[in-house]
Amino acid sequence: MSSTETGDAVIANPPNTRPSWVTEGNAVSESAVEPSVGSVFEVRDVSVYYDDFRAVTDVDLDINENEITAFIGPSGCGKSTMLRTFNRMNDLIEGARMTGQLLYHGIDLYDEEVDPVAVRRRIGMVFQKPNPFPKSIYDNIAFGPKIAGTAESMDDIVERSLRGAGLWDEVKDRLKDSALGLSGGQQQRLCIARATAVNPDVLLMDEPCSALDPIATGRIEELMLEMKENFTIVIVTHNMQQAARVSDRTAFFTAELDSTTDQRTGLLVEYDLTTTIFSNPTDHRTENYITGRFG
Amino acid sequence: MTEILRSNFHDDLDAMRLEVVRMCALVTEMIPRATDAFLNNDLAAAQRLIKDDDILDAVSINLDTMCTEMLALQQPLATDLREIVAAIRLNPEIERSGDLVVNIAKATRRMFGTEYEPHIRGLIVKMSQEAQRMFRLASEAYDRRDVALGAALDDIDDRLDEYANDLVEAVLNDHKAHERDPQTSVQMALIGRFYERVGDHAVNIGEWVRFIVEGWRPEDVGAARVAAQAEEE
Repeated sequence: MSSTETGDAVIANPPNTRPSWVTEGNAVSESAVEPSVGSVFEVRDVSVYYDDFRAVTDVDLDINENEITAFIGPSGCGKSTMLRTFNRMNDLIEGARMTGQLLYHGIDLYDEEVDPVAVRRRIGMVFQKPNPFPKSIYDNIAFGPKIAGTAESMDDIVERSLRGAGLWDEVKDRLKDSALGLSGGQQQRLCIARATAVNPDVLLMDEPCSALDPIATGRIEELMLEMKENFTIVIVTHNMQQAARVSDRTAFFTAELDSTTDQRTGLLVEYDLTTTIFSNPTDHRTENYITGRFG
Repeated sequence: MTEILRSNFHDDLDAMRLEVVRMCALVTEMIPRATDAFLNNDLAAAQRLIKDDDILDAVSINLDTMCTEMLALQQPLATDLREIVAAIRLNPEIERSGDLVVNIAKATRRMFGTEYEPHIRGLIVKMSQEAQRMFRLASEAYDRRDVALGAALDDIDDRLDEYANDLVEAVLNDHKAHERDPQTSVQMALIGRFYERVGDHAVNIGEWVRFIVEGWRPEDVGAARVAAQAEEE
């Protein structure tokens, strides 16, 4: 992806201005919410519940623009749940609800005026298992822009997106072939290309490399480092070395037993520069987890 | 209760720590032997000590290999990473200390037949005892992760520095009084320098203890000053 093309996309929908999907008369006043400079998301005292079960509690953190932020922690610590709050994917789960405040460029993402579908257009997601549509490579990329509507030529969008995902040279001669014929690593890069085709400014990645071999993983990691120039990336990973290799900041979550409910609830233990988290963390729980002394 | 998930790796880390302590113990034990050989003109004892330095070199190489393998294979993090980085930095400190002690033993040959004034002998004995004490304390600070003791070594070292100054003065007076060969006097002053350098290495070991526990290095202070100055400009 060339920087010019992405630059145009950013200008078309500049951050820190009221996004098009927020209707007039939004309850959130501009003066009440001053977006922090450089923060894409501001998470304030956020808890997520599935019915009565509190999956993650009292999270406070800022996600910085054009950085890669990694969420690490043991299974069941709420890191994927937290990731899904960023594009309201938890809305699709019955009984899921959120308390606290989540600001995206200073706008309350959970305001009733906000359209969750439009949110997901700005905040794309890549999942653990590559999930291309059973369509051609070309149609996979064109799917989103077709629905969203675009003035740009579809061929240009497909080429730009595939180039951005480092896949263009491998597939340019077989764009009409089924996406299901690609290797796992290529399929995942196709999914990344598909997510970027609608010009989002955030990419959420939920263990994007856990189904891939080390070579394909290395390609995705390289790609993430290239893409952060144009996107803000939040990644959930079980692979601490991956978090250490690619991310600028790391958030460590863990699950602790709530004695009042006898349930394990996820919480954010420590959030800092990745170099600090992996060389000299402050909290002993972080230290124990990353050095394999878990418990 | 903490469950240890990487027990093999942590066993390796324990073995690595043991090698550092073992190196410190070898140097601590070599110091009085070198002093006795030197003051007693005991060439055979000096020879044995020079040969025994090979053991220190072998442990040093082993420690180096252990650290490199753990970095390559285990992706150590946080305290584990600092432990290994510290061991890699401590290794040459201790190995070099052994070389300084060997230099004292080698001086037995160079100075063979020299009779030392009681005052000079006394100062050399004191320096030897102090250097040995400092190395033992540095080893204890490392073994117990005792940051306070590690930091105190810098001040404890003052006494050894004073002895070194006293020795230079005594050697100069001795030189004038007995019209010694300049080379002999220089060699005698150098002996004091060797003990003093051993003390400096013990101070460095103490500083690395603080790095292991807190991630802090003494050079951080100067580096912060440079960064602050660059920001002002």
